[in-house]
Amino acid sequence: MTMHETTPERVLGDDIVIAEGVKKWFGDFQALKGVTTRVKEREVVVIIGPSGSGKSTFIRCLNRLEAHQEGTIIIDGTELTNDLKNIEKIRSEVGMVFQQFNLFPHLTVMDNITLAPIWVRKTPKAEAEATAMELLERVGIPEQADKYPGQLSGGQQQRVAIARSLAMKPRIMLFDEPTSALDPEMIKEVLDVMKELAASGMTMIVVTHEMGFAREVADRVMFFDYGTIVEEGTPEHFFTNPQHDRTKLFLSQIL
Amino acid sequence: MTVEVREHQKTPLWRNATFLKWVAQIGVLVALLALFALLGSEALKNFNQSGISFGWKWLSDPTGVDIREGIDTSPDSGVRALAVGMVNTLRVGVSGIIAATVLGTLIGIGRLSKNWIVNKLSTVYIESIRNVPLLLQIFFWQAMALVLPQLATDDVGTYWFKASNKGFGLAWFRTDGGFWPWMLFVVAGILVGRAVSRSRHRIQEETGRITYPGLSWLATVIVFAAVGWFAWPILRFLAPVWHGIASFFRALPPIVYPIVGAIASIGFAVLWIRNFFESRRTPAGFGKLTDDDWFRVIFAGFSGIALAIVSFVIGGFVLTTVGGDKASVAELIGRGIANVFDWLGRSFEVTSGSPIVGSRPEVIVRGAGFVNFSEGGVVMSVPFFAIWTGVTLYTASFIAEIVRGGILAVPKGQTEAAMALGLRRSQYLRLVILPQAFRIILPPMGNQYLNLMKNTSLGIAVAFPEIVQVGTTILNQTGQSLPVVLVWMGFFVSLSLGISAIVNYYNRKMMIVER
Repeated sequence: MTMHETTPERVLGDDIVIAEGVKKWFGDFQALKGVTTRVKEREVVVIIGPSGSGKSTFIRCLNRLEAHQEGTIIIDGTELTNDLKNIEKIRSEVGMVFQQFNLFPHLTVMDNITLAPIWVRKTPKAEAEATAMELLERVGIPEQADKYPGQLSGGQQQRVAIARSLAMKPRIMLFDEPTSALDPEMIKEVLDVMKELAASGMTMIVVTHEMGFAREVADRVMFFDYGTIVEEGTPEHFFTNPQHDRTKLFLSQIL
Repeated sequence: MTVEVREHQKTPLWRNATFLKWVAQIGVLVALLALFALLGSEALKNFNQSGISFGWKWLSDPTGVDIREGIDTSPDSGVRALAVGMVNTLRVGVSGIIAATVLGTLIGIGRLSKNWIVNKLSTVYIESIRNVPLLLQIFFWQAMALVLPQLATDDVGTYWFKASNKGFGLAWFRTDGGFWPWMLFVVAGILVGRAVSRSRHRIQEETGRITYPGLSWLATVIVFAAVGWFAWPILRFLAPVWHGIASFFRALPPIVYPIVGAIASIGFAVLWIRNFFESRRTPAGFGKLTDDDWFRVIFAGFSGIALAIVSFVIGGFVLTTVGGDKASVAELIGRGIANVFDWLGRSFEVTSGSPIVGSRPEVIVRGAGFVNFSEGGVVMSVPFFAIWTGVTLYTASFIAEIVRGGILAVPKGQTEAAMALGLRRSQYLRLVILPQAFRIILPPMGNQYLNLMKNTSLGIAVAFPEIVQVGTTILNQTGQSLPVVLVWMGFFVSLSLGISAIVNYYNRKMMIVER
């Protein structure tokens, strides 16, 4: 059994994400049936669960890619409502990495990373490019700066996508199955970047099927099913002593 | 262990793929040329038998054709009349393309709007316009314009805007004394502005300080234009220079022009071949050229030489000018260039007036009780209005659908990623979605431009004097059907090829780099 490796101890801060009774319908289908949880600053939360359980919908609600219909979401003291000003503020503080990378194919890697800092944060171009180069060094591909996304491998593209989000200096990072579209040999390079990010103290909410990552990095694991959190706890608790039958069944199927 | 190899045999020619390919290429070419030669000689024979003369003399012969609107309403020769028709076609076509693009793009975006009214209005527009034949729409707009009030003697006067069944008069600008000297200032402003903007751009790149390169370019042009507005008479000293250039071209022996043409065509062929070799180069040296590649190279070389010969043949072609004297085409080209510089020289001799003046439409009495617009302002005639409105609205409905499809074809993840980064709707549409949609939109858009250009020939239905209408009149007068049809075809083919070339150029530029 793998032990929870202690990274340099992250001291958890105050609640930065607060969700109270979040409900969301797609037509007749209720995707979220009242999700209540809190995430502390510098905490790494891994969300697992079968497909269709609402885990992706939940994190997409956190930056308003989907609008929740009932309940409250408060990000870093700002409530997510219809107020465009709040949405703008939250989106510029919350970074998101997608399963399909969603890099802008008509822009170079450098332009992908500097686009938002220049247009949203009004950073001077030279400064934005210097920051982008630092981030590319950090994710290990500074030599790809002038290439287009179509010229990179999947793993490299996902690392660029991470760098693109980090360029906005977010306080929270959301990962929506970041390794699910990757070939096996590329998964590690992306997970390594994410581990480094966690160790640096970033608040992270990660939807993933990578149980190794959950064991090694997560402070807390959440199990979603049928639009609710069935069970949550530390990785040790979760992988050695799950309480619910649904959790046990799910873990027995994937481990 | 050894491998048995059958004795190496020389491949017979009829099984040699390379040889067969060459035979096929050359065979197709020869067959094609033979077919054209046969058709041409048959056509000539039939024309001779039926007593139809085939010739180009009508180009320089005086015509009795009166044209209702255009750069010259009573042209002195067939070629001049055709030129008036071509300019009218281009006027409708080019302004129609611009208007249809703007309108179509707005409606296309409108159809994607979440605003219910905008959305439904766009849908109704598209569905009603594109499902009615264009010819009917042109008749409809003509009928709409013809029920406008008649011009009467009460209407005599000057207007900012005047709608009547004689057309729409609109206040406009016209050039006046000093326009061309002033233009020289403006062009200088554009060039200096470019240098300024580049240097400021460099400063911005190096220091990160915002230097507004685009705005400083605009400011430079405005300053030059403003100074030139008053200072243009000082350029009068250039008038003798232009006249000098004119006499230089007049003194040049006509043989120079075919020589320049020949050098240009051979030079172009050589350049093409060099670029072609360059494009086949691999890091390891020249890649192996396939037979097709060689065929292309040889074809390019032959075309260059053929064009060179053609330029001598055309240059030596003797025409009878309107004045009655004979001159070779080369001589006429020389005279034409000299005339342009003489005209430029004369326009620099002017000392009074201001470069651009406003001009308003004026209604006057012409003869007994005949009331119409005079020269002032711009007057959009009823036929122009009908054909222009018809082709513009019609093409816009197709462009709208193309734009909508292009935007929808950009994956949804692009919008989500842009939103997640905090970009606003207007920002991500402009920076992320439209650049990608444009790539999808461009090729079908080019087709619509070609359609619009060709549809202008429906102007004949409302007596708009475009190339087909003018050509029909000439054809009826001279009986020269084949030459006129050849001119029509040549005109529309070169127009279409021109549009395709522009669209393809942008298409290549917009291409997304992939592995």
